[in-house]
Amino acid sequence: MGDSQYSFSLTTFSPSGKLVQIEHALQAVGSGQTSLGIKAANGVVVATEKKLPSILVDETSVQKIQLMTPNIGVVYSGMGPDSRVLVRKSRKQAQQYFRLYKEPIPITQLVRETAAVMQEFTQSGGVRPFGVSLLIAGYDDNGPQLYQVDPSGSYFSWKASAMGKNVSNAKTFLEKRYTEDMELEDAIHTAILTLKEGFEGQISGKNIEIGIIGADRKFRVLSSSEIDDYLAEVE
Amino acid sequence: MSRGTGAGYDRHITIFSPEGRLYQVEYAFKAVKAAGVTSIGVRGKDSVCVVTQKKVPDKLLDQTSVTHLFPITKYLGLLATGMTADARSLVSQARNEAAEFRFKWGYEMPVDVLSKWIADKAQVYTQHAYMRPLGVASMVLGIDEEKGPQLFKCDPAGHFFGHKATSAGLKEQEAINFLEKKMKNDPNFSYDETVQTAISALQSVLQEDFKATEIEVGVVTEKDPVFRVLSTEEIDEHLTAISERD
Repeated sequence: MGDSQYSFSLTTFSPSGKLVQIEHALQAVGSGQTSLGIKAANGVVVATEKKLPSILVDETSVQKIQLMTPNIGVVYSGMGPDSRVLVRKSRKQAQQYFRLYKEPIPITQLVRETAAVMQEFTQSGGVRPFGVSLLIAGYDDNGPQLYQVDPSGSYFSWKASAMGKNVSNAKTFLEKRYTEDMELEDAIHTAILTLKEGFEGQISGKNIEIGIIGADRKFRVLSSSEIDDYLAEVE
Repeated sequence: MSRGTGAGYDRHITIFSPEGRLYQVEYAFKAVKAAGVTSIGVRGKDSVCVVTQKKVPDKLLDQTSVTHLFPITKYLGLLATGMTADARSLVSQARNEAAEFRFKWGYEMPVDVLSKWIADKAQVYTQHAYMRPLGVASMVLGIDEEKGPQLFKCDPAGHFFGHKATSAGLKEQEAINFLEKKMKNDPNFSYDETVQTAISALQSVLQEDFKATEIEVGVVTEKDPVFRVLSTEEIDEHLTAISERD
């Protein structure tokens, strides 16, 4: 990738040994809309704010939480267009794995390959790093899993994590509320409460998005009326 | 070597600034405004209408060759606001893409698929240093077989959304404020109301009444899902209806 004209990397070391482009990319993530994920004992939930630039935007045309495979979903914080590139590449990689092994790709493998793509863009010529952090949630033979991938390409497995504007408050809130034996339903309530903490304005099923996966191994995005029901329970 | 270390090159190519911004993309947005033209799009119950100013800077120019409304296929239209040369390049590629889609998959390229393709192309230019972002905001309109009338807007950053109504160009924000008031209660505009809302929005925002030759209007309707540019006579009818209404 990158044109021959730009066969030098744009991400180079500073004298103090830092890769400043990656740090700037993390800034872009940090000014993005808040998103979070929680791993429960029997599933995973991811949630994000869905603040649209105007009421004229048709919110049914926008879906921030995407599927990578039927049992793996992803949410991002940061630059939407960049996340679309990663989702597309990951979907293809998942299909290639399946074609070769006739088995759904394990979550760790998909995360590794997605992270590798993100790392490539910090080292290849003529390209900039991705301005997104991803939360990848899924359920496979190793149970429910939640991974966070950063613009640098590094990834970690999390019990619960948050990204974007309200990250520090959200993480503090999650640290207090998280328990190892949480069920998926509790996790959904906690996710909503965490989002509510830093939410500006009136929270509703139209301006947040929630994706869940349980032991049925089918990742799905909740409809806005389902979210409204959960919001009523949480009140 | 002073190259892309945040020491000034973040303004020349699309690498991150220290605050995590892409200056080249922000400048591309400014280029869209610099063309000096405002465009409006409105989606009704069973139709979509887009309107733009037709500024002919020189009387010697052939007016018929000055246009920002491009049919991509028989059923899909694209209104390009911003740099005309970039717009033509984009339209040319979009036409190719839509034709290949029809050939490969056997059905017409839907509005949202084309918009996504345009937006993904725009994203590539924001990430690869060898190409600058295009200074064009595109509004794509068409009738979707399953979802009905659709209006999408794609911008130089690679974002794209479906809209009930939207605007692009010089007076974008004023137009959006006007349209938000009009569309607040989810009105289901008929074809005539859709066209007239779009035209009157433009008139209100630019604070001038138009002659039919000074604007371009493009429509698609469920009855006739072909993308059509209205003739001057048809535009005149709508202008008359608007002035009689007020």
